[in-house]
Amino acid sequence: MRTWRLCGALLACATALLVWLTAVPPQGDAILELRHALALPSDALTPPPPGPDWRATPLPASRPALPGDATHAVWLRMTFDLARTRDDFQAVLLPYLYGGGQVWLDGVLVGEIPVSSAIMHVRWERPHLMVLPRSLVRAGPHALCIRASAVEGETALHLPAPRVGPLAQLRAQYDMRYFWMHTMPEMTVGACLVATLLVLLIWSRLPEEVLYGWFGIAALMWGIRTLTFVMETVSSDRWQWWRLLYLASTGGFIVVLALFVGRLGGMHDRRIERALLAYWALGPAWRLVQGIDSDEFVNRLWLAGQIPIAIGVVVVAAITAWRQRTVLSLVLPGALAVATCAGIHDYLIVWKPALLARVLPEWAGQRYFLLHYGADLVLVAMGVLLCSRFVHSVRALRVLNETLESRIADRERILALNFERMAELERTNAAATERKLIMREIHDGLGSKLFTSLSRVERGAMDKAEMASSLRSCIADMRLALEALAPDDHDLQVAFGDFMFRWQAELQASAVHCTWTVDIPADTLQLGPHATLQVLRIAQEALTNVVKHAGASAVALSLAVHDRQLTLRIEDDGAGIPVQSLPGGRGIRNMVGRAQQLGGALRVERGQERGTVVTFRLALAA
Amino acid sequence: MLPSHSSSVPTSVLIVEDEPELLHRFSTALLAEEGLHLLAAVSTGAAALAVLASGAPDLILLDLGLPDIDGIAIIRHVMQHCPDCDVLVVTMFGDDDHVFDALEAGATGYLLKDAGLDRIAASIRELRDGGAPISPSIARRVLARLRTATPAGASPGQDPAPSVLTQREIELLKLTAKGLSFDKVGELLGISPHTVVAHVKKIYRKLAVHSRAEAVYEATQMGLL
Repeated sequence: MRTWRLCGALLACATALLVWLTAVPPQGDAILELRHALALPSDALTPPPPGPDWRATPLPASRPALPGDATHAVWLRMTFDLARTRDDFQAVLLPYLYGGGQVWLDGVLVGEIPVSSAIMHVRWERPHLMVLPRSLVRAGPHALCIRASAVEGETALHLPAPRVGPLAQLRAQYDMRYFWMHTMPEMTVGACLVATLLVLLIWSRLPEEVLYGWFGIAALMWGIRTLTFVMETVSSDRWQWWRLLYLASTGGFIVVLALFVGRLGGMHDRRIERALLAYWALGPAWRLVQGIDSDEFVNRLWLAGQIPIAIGVVVVAAITAWRQRTVLSLVLPGALAVATCAGIHDYLIVWKPALLARVLPEWAGQRYFLLHYGADLVLVAMGVLLCSRFVHSVRALRVLNETLESRIADRERILALNFERMAELERTNAAATERKLIMREIHDGLGSKLFTSLSRVERGAMDKAEMASSLRSCIADMRLALEALAPDDHDLQVAFGDFMFRWQAELQASAVHCTWTVDIPADTLQLGPHATLQVLRIAQEALTNVVKHAGASAVALSLAVHDRQLTLRIEDDGAGIPVQSLPGGRGIRNMVGRAQQLGGALRVERGQERGTVVTFRLALAA
Repeated sequence: MLPSHSSSVPTSVLIVEDEPELLHRFSTALLAEEGLHLLAAVSTGAAALAVLASGAPDLILLDLGLPDIDGIAIIRHVMQHCPDCDVLVVTMFGDDDHVFDALEAGATGYLLKDAGLDRIAASIRELRDGGAPISPSIARRVLARLRTATPAGASPGQDPAPSVLTQREIELLKLTAKGLSFDKVGELLGISPHTVVAHVKKIYRKLAVHSRAEAVYEATQMGLL
C-alpha cells in the first residue's frame, strides 16, 4: 500500500513538473514572429540579391529536398520594423534549423550554424539563438536573410518561422525548447542506460524471468535510439553506421515491445517470437547487404513493416487488459494508446503538416515530436508492471514461506508423534516379551513345583515339614515374580533391597546373621524385569541353601557393578558344600542354568576356610 | 523412645481376618505370647467396627481384603476414633500399592501372611515399642510423596514453608531406598537401629497426617466440605 502511495506521489510530482515545464512562457509582446518570407533555392554563401526568382513563402514551411536536387540550400529573405531603439539586446530565435545555415541582418552575417561537410555530418535537434550586434539594431526597417541547408540524406527541408525580439524574452522560449529537444533526450538516454543495467542484472540472475530481459533490451534499444538524436554531429564516415544503429534500435524497440506484451499477456508463441526476432535482424542485415550508404528501401519497407507489429502490440495489450480487468492491466495499453496518438501526431507533423495546422495552427509549426515522450511513457509503464510483478512475487514467496514453515511444523509434530508412538510400541513390545518370559518362568518353575508337590502329597510321600517347605518355596517364587514385575521402575537396586528386606526376617528366624552391601553407581543399571528376576532367583536359591543345608551362622551378600560387569556374591560360614556334589545338585544346576540363560557365569566353590561362596557374574550391555 | 507398654500393661490386640485358617494362626501366635492380650478376633469389617465401638485396642492386626468393608476405610475409621491405636496390616505379598495405601490411611506397619509365629509376635512388639519396618520401595515412594510437601495448613502461595520431613528423615529414607539394611543406615547416620525404626514410624505418621490434610484440602477445593 505504501509503495503505491509513494508511486502515486512521484507520479503526481512528475506530472506537475511536466505541466509547469510545458506551459508556454507568455509570448513577449515585443517578439516578432516572421511568418512571411521570400525564398530562393540557392547554394550561394552570401545572400543573393533580390530578383524575380524569389518566391513568397509562408512560414513555417517544408519543401522537398531530394538527393538528386542541384541545390541543397534555400535562402529566406524577411523584412521587419523595429519601432524604436531598445536598450536591451535583441536576438533571433530559430526553433529549428536541422541542417544548419547562416543568419544575415542587413547584409551582415550575425550567426552561422555548421552544416554537413565532407568530414562531419550534422543534424541539429536543438533550437538556435543568435544575439544581434547592437550596432545593427536601430529603429526602422531591417532585412533578415537565412540560409537553410537540408540535412544530408533527408528528403525534406524544414523552414522555421524566425522570431526576433528582446534576448531575455527569446531566451525563455529557447530554454524551454532546448530542454525538450536536447536535455530531455539526454536524460532519457541516462535513465534508459541505468534501467537497462539494473534490469539486465536482475535478469542475468533470474533467467527464467524473461519479461525482465525484454524490458531491459527495450530500454536499451530506446536509449540507443535516443542517443542518435542527442549526438547531433557525427564524423561523416561513421554517419551511416549511426543511421544503421538508429534503424536497428527503432525496429528492435518495437519488436521487443511486441515480445514483452506477448509474454505479459501469456500469448507468446515460440515461432512467432522467432519470426519477430528474425524480422528485426532483417532490416539492418538488408541494409548492410544493399550497401551502407543507402537506406531508402529499408527505410520505406522495413520500417513500414513495423507498423502492423505495433498495431499487434496494442491489440495484444488491449486483450490482456480485457482478460485481466485490473487497474494495473490498464497501465500498459493506456501508455501504448498515448504513444500511438503521439506517433500519429508526429506522422502528421512530418507528412501532413497542413492537416494539423488546420486544427492547431500555432502548434504544428513548432515541430515538437511527441513519440519520444510516448515511448518514455511506455517504458515507465513496463517498469511499473515489472515492479508490481516483483512485489507480487516477493509477497507470494513470503506467503509460501509461511505456509511451508507451518507445514513443516505440522510435519514435525506428526513425526514426533509417530516417534513417540513407535517408542511406546517398542516399550509395549519389550514389556510383552518380558511378560512372556516371566509367565513361562512361573509356568515351568512354580507350576511344576506345585504339581510335583501335589503328586507327592497324594501318594503320601511327603511329610508335614517337607510340604511346608515346598509351599514356602512356592510362595517365595511367587513373591519374586511379583517383585520383579512391579510396574514402577525396574531397578535392580530397589528390587534387591526389597528382597533383602524380606529375607532378613527369615534369616533372623533361622538364626543366621545376615549382612549385605550394594555398590551400584547411580543410574548405571537398567536390567529388564526378567533379568532382575533371574538374578534374585539365584540369590534366593543360594540363601535357601544356606538356611537348609549349610548350617551357617552368618551370610554376607554383595551386589556390585564395576566396569559394566555385575557381580553377585553370596558367602556363608557354614559347613561348606561337599566336594563330591560340586558339579551340582538340583539347586545348583538350576542356578547355573539361570546364569547361562542370562549370558552370565556362576561359580559355586568352597570358602577358603569353611563355608560356601556363590559368585555370579554378568557382563552388561554397553 | 522407651517402650511404654511392654513391661507391665499387656498390649490389647484386635485381629480382623476373614480367612479362618489365618485367623486361627494369628490368634495362636498372640495367645502364646506373654504381654499380648487378645481383645477379639473377628472375620468381618462390621464386627471389627462393633468391637471398636465398645473399646479401643492398642493394636489392630488387619487384613486388607475383607469381604464387607474395605480395609483402608477401617484404618481411616480407627485413625479418627482412636488415633493412638497402631494398625498392622496383613498382606499376602507385601506389594507396594496396597501397603502404601494402608500407610497413607494411617497404618504403621505390615506383616506378610506366611510369617512365622514368632515373627508375628515380634512385629507386634516392635510396633508397640515405637518402631516400624520399611522396605526400599516403600521408602522411595514415601520420599517421592513427602519430599516436596509442606506441613498441612500452609496454604499455597505463601513463602516456601519447610518440608514435612526433616533433613535427617530425608537422609534416612534415601539410604533405605538404596537397599541398605537398618544396621547400615543407623551406622551411616550415627544412630542405633532402634532409633532408625522409630524414625520410620514417625515418618509413617507424617505421611498419614499429610494425606489426610491433603484430602481435606482437596475436598474443600471441590466444595465437598
